[in-house]
Amino acid sequence: MSEQNLQSQTVQTTGHAWDGDLQEFNNPLPTWWVYTFYVTIVFSVVYWFIYPSWPIGKGFLTGFSEITYVNKAGETVTSHWNTRALLAKKLNEQTELQKPYFSKVAASDFGQIAKDPELSGFVLSAGKVLFDDNCAPCHQQGGQGKPGFYPNLADDDWLYGGSYDKIHQTLVNGRRGYMPAFGEVLPAGDIDALANYVASLSGIGHDAGKAASGRALFVSQSAACYACHGENAKGRQETGAPNLTDGIWLWANVPGAQKPEDKIAAIRATIAAGLNKGVMPAWGGRLTPEQIKVLTVYVHELGGGT
Amino acid sequence: MAATTLAPAEQYNFDIVKKFAVMALVWAVVGMSVGVYIASELAWPFLNFDSPYISFGRLRPVHTGAVIFGFGGSALFATSYYVVQRTCQARLISDGMASFTFWGWQSVIVLAALSYVSGYSQGREYAEMEWPIDILIEVVWVAYLIVYVGTIMRRKQPHIYVANWFYLSFILATALLHTFNNLAVPVDLFSMKSYSLFSGTQDAMTQWWYGHNAVGFFLTAAFLGMMYYFVPKQAGRPIYSYRLSIVHFWALGFMYMWVGAHHLHWTALPDWTSTLAATFSILLLMPSWGGMINGIMTLSGAWDKLRTDPVMRFMIVALSFYGMSTFEGPMMSLKEVNALSHYTDWTVGHVHSGALGWVAMISFGSLYHMIPRLWDTRLYSARLVEVHFWLATIGILLYIIAMWISGITQGLMWRATDEFGNLQYSFVESVAAMIPFYIMRAVGGAFFLTGTVVMVYNIYMTIRQAGQEEAALEAKLAAKMANAGA
Repeated sequence: MSEQNLQSQTVQTTGHAWDGDLQEFNNPLPTWWVYTFYVTIVFSVVYWFIYPSWPIGKGFLTGFSEITYVNKAGETVTSHWNTRALLAKKLNEQTELQKPYFSKVAASDFGQIAKDPELSGFVLSAGKVLFDDNCAPCHQQGGQGKPGFYPNLADDDWLYGGSYDKIHQTLVNGRRGYMPAFGEVLPAGDIDALANYVASLSGIGHDAGKAASGRALFVSQSAACYACHGENAKGRQETGAPNLTDGIWLWANVPGAQKPEDKIAAIRATIAAGLNKGVMPAWGGRLTPEQIKVLTVYVHELGGGT
Repeated sequence: MAATTLAPAEQYNFDIVKKFAVMALVWAVVGMSVGVYIASELAWPFLNFDSPYISFGRLRPVHTGAVIFGFGGSALFATSYYVVQRTCQARLISDGMASFTFWGWQSVIVLAALSYVSGYSQGREYAEMEWPIDILIEVVWVAYLIVYVGTIMRRKQPHIYVANWFYLSFILATALLHTFNNLAVPVDLFSMKSYSLFSGTQDAMTQWWYGHNAVGFFLTAAFLGMMYYFVPKQAGRPIYSYRLSIVHFWALGFMYMWVGAHHLHWTALPDWTSTLAATFSILLLMPSWGGMINGIMTLSGAWDKLRTDPVMRFMIVALSFYGMSTFEGPMMSLKEVNALSHYTDWTVGHVHSGALGWVAMISFGSLYHMIPRLWDTRLYSARLVEVHFWLATIGILLYIIAMWISGITQGLMWRATDEFGNLQYSFVESVAAMIPFYIMRAVGGAFFLTGTVVMVYNIYMTIRQAGQEEAALEAKLAAKMANAGA
């Protein structure tokens, strides 16, 4: 500190004073500051020689750094350092790693992919990211689904079938679920009866009399529920009509209701309003055939498919 | 009266300085509260309450607008009007115009915030205000320039003090940046919506030329002006080096204008442009540090003040964070480092180590110095300044450490690939990994905000105490007069 005081006494101020006591010493620039500044200049000049830098006319100094990569046409080219070439090079490196596995996926059938330990490792790795980036926004992480919106893919209840072929078909072409609004064609009493019958199928407290007449309506020509859901209400995967006897509810908010009459009201609302929102987009044009194949096996594994 | 020397109150226009100083504190509390709220929204998304008006996207510019332009802007208006009058020994040339800058600027902050929550935004970072507000800013800013330059021209000192160079460069550069970044065509005369005059890469370049120079001239040069007056005043010592102040002033002004494009590495921007931006950022390091050296070395010989004077501590810690941020910035602007840091929370942490550590801390220190002098009293409590100092410092550290970890984690997760050549993580997994750090950040912000509230209480009590002292003095005077009369 004493040294500093000494310095203050030897270094002159500029001789100006503002606002009473504001003054300035006229110390020289700190040497380390000046030299570090020179170092940054040298660094910058070196950087200009490595990367593309100063514009000259319509071109620019390209720099000495080069990148060799395979372009889209499959030719190996060398160019001066640039972002696009670097991206192509790095993507190629990853694609080269994936290639043997994807070719093997393309050449194998689903069963073989699932059995081959090396391929199933690949499916787990590639499928997880493909699923999380493309499917999880609706079906949620792990395929757990969202009641009232998107079906659970991790159980063994399949709307359109859980075989490899059916899952593949669903992925490639998408699906569109539909149920007519019976509120427009049936009297309220009939809908109530049907709701009681559907409730009885999964052991929800119901009115036995109403359920019996509901059963009659279910298989009648007027309501014709059986046409899609089947005579035993176990569903038909050809039409995507769900099994009504397994206690799994996607659309009617039955699990969310506490009392039996509220559960029946939820069923009644779905029968009356129908459904026109079960849309799954087609991925055929958006993902490659190999990617869809990987996803098929991955989703099949999620639900312990059929 | 005419024969006596003028009291400071008549010699200078301190009324305008007081108004801006008070509003700086009001906006600090508002802006930082919104900041803590949106930080909490990221940690606990239910806080959106499914309302568009308080969603992150709309509140974020409310936060940045209120802290940068409300708090920072008002603090700059206050200190620049204070400094220019005292160092030029001249009253502001026009009380009317100064008053216009006050009401105009406060309207800008309020209108901007209201327009953001209603969904109006230009989508230009730190310049989200739509065109009618931009025009108001332009008018206010020209008035500011006229008042400032006019006052300097009336100075009774032959030399212009260094703080004024920095303030003036800030006013001039901001006028230039604001004008060109906001060139836009309104959809029609009665519509808030407008479209930028530029498109594509040029538009992005213009935005970041503005964005980074707003950091350079608004948040750096202007607050260096503040530093150059208040640090030597508080330390009671001369500035370390006049020569250094000249060299780093011109180098800073020259280098800054080039570096905006480092916000656009690895995009459609030409590679040569991004290289130049990276190197000028490196060249900017030492010019930036010139200010830090001059500030810290000014204190040499009076280091004991750090122990005894909590206001001084604010200023020195501000300079330290300034030095750290201006080192971190050039590093992040190198292509390879940027490939990891870009689009991650690291950037958010970097900007807050500058904004909280430098801008807010130097403003707090300066306001603690200035406000008692404006009201002609002493600070109500030095102990509370100490409390504020520690709350703020802990808050900043929690904030930037959280963002460093989360930013680097994000950068690494996004680029990680496995032995099959597949990405190792999906995006949503990187989001899930951020949760603990987002909580830590919100807590850090809450610490900082609490410190600011402590300051507001301390300043409120200081101003109240000034009123009481004045009343007591008047009563004493009146009694004396009565005695003399009897």
